[in-house]
Amino acid sequence: MGDFEAQLRKFQKELSAGTVSLALLAVLAKAREPLYGYLIAKELERTGDGVLSGKQSALYPVLRNLEGAGLLESHVEPSVAGPPRRYYRINDEGRAVLTQWIAAWNATRDSLESVLEGVER
Amino acid sequence: MNNENNARPLPTTIPEYLEQLRAALAGADPAMIQDALYDAEEYLRSELAEQPGRGEAEVIAGVAGSYGAPEEVAEIYRETEVTVNRALRTPLPGRGPAPLPPVAAGVATATAAAAATAKPRSTVARFFGVVLDPHTYGALFYMLLSLVTGVFFFTWVVTGLSLSVSLLILIVGIPVLLLFLGSVRVLSLVEGRIIEALLGVRMPRRPAYTDRSQGWLARIGTMFTDGRTWLTMLYFVLMLPLGVAYFSIATTLLSTSLALVFAPVADVLFDQPVGVWIDGVNVADGFWLWPVSVVAGLVLLFGTLHLARAIGRLHGAVAKHLLVRL
Repeated sequence: MGDFEAQLRKFQKELSAGTVSLALLAVLAKAREPLYGYLIAKELERTGDGVLSGKQSALYPVLRNLEGAGLLESHVEPSVAGPPRRYYRINDEGRAVLTQWIAAWNATRDSLESVLEGVER
Repeated sequence: MNNENNARPLPTTIPEYLEQLRAALAGADPAMIQDALYDAEEYLRSELAEQPGRGEAEVIAGVAGSYGAPEEVAEIYRETEVTVNRALRTPLPGRGPAPLPPVAAGVATATAAAAATAKPRSTVARFFGVVLDPHTYGALFYMLLSLVTGVFFFTWVVTGLSLSVSLLILIVGIPVLLLFLGSVRVLSLVEGRIIEALLGVRMPRRPAYTDRSQGWLARIGTMFTDGRTWLTMLYFVLMLPLGVAYFSIATTLLSTSLALVFAPVADVLFDQPVGVWIDGVNVADGFWLWPVSVVAGLVLLFGTLHLARAIGRLHGAVAKHLLVRL
């Protein structure tokens, strides 16, 4: 039993590793104003309905990488509650990449669905 | 998800949580630890601010499920760092096909395969391969740049320190000193960015963690007792002699080697004969000297590139020890 569970967890981890960048870009593309890490995590938790919410600590390094790749822009603002917050905003390159990624995702999803069709559950 | 196999009980305060996270990350890259602590603190403080009715212990217990318990967070950062380092590393010359998308979370397998195809290279290939290593040019540029940054950092620290200390007898010295100490921290991050970009050494992207539960007087106190503050200043002071040395080494060796390589061109185009002058007398005249000059110049040029890369690595290590400490 525990073995199945471990395999399921590993599979979920791999799935989210492949899709988390897409989800983050999408959240930021929809947002009207720049968001900081915590808000992005909460937004993902709310709309992603728990499926994408692996541990939210995994999001921060990915945000940094997306910024490093030039898809996001960021600035720092002081906050009352804690350390200064880094606000992220998607840029034009990020939007262009997101469009491509969505197309790639749709293609993957469609082909996967047709493969899965007819499998007994 | 579930959080079984927690070796330790859940922390009840934010500093405790961060302390556990730091302990769980022990042995990892200090720059990564600094970033991880910063991220965790932002999340925890925001969560606490969102739920004003609940106690700190209660909020942290909830966070263990969403953000992760310290051990889990440590595990995630360790994994991500490995994956990202592989993904962002520039493929080394002569190694398998490894160009990767800049943002890739699940590429570990592809790069592992690429790394497996790496074959041992001959000494000659290694000697000349230095030309293809981007860090060589980064280091060379850093050596030239360090004269400017070195002078600036040195001036900033010496001016700031002497100005604020001498003004301490008046009350205005205190804010000046605090501003100066804050500026040193910011400059330390800036220098870290330069070093990571040019020398390829992982440096922190977020400021160091400060314990916000203490009062501001205590926090000012820790600024003085914190070894980082003084080590950073030491580094900035050291940057002047180092910068002058790096700049001199780079310009001298580069100009000498390039002059040797292009000496025959000068002979043909500008009628500047190739030769070895001693007291104004050319003691080694003749065409045989042309190839000798070019070969000597090339060897010196490649030696310079190797030296630059080695200095870059050495300086990266020095910077890491003085600027990043936990």
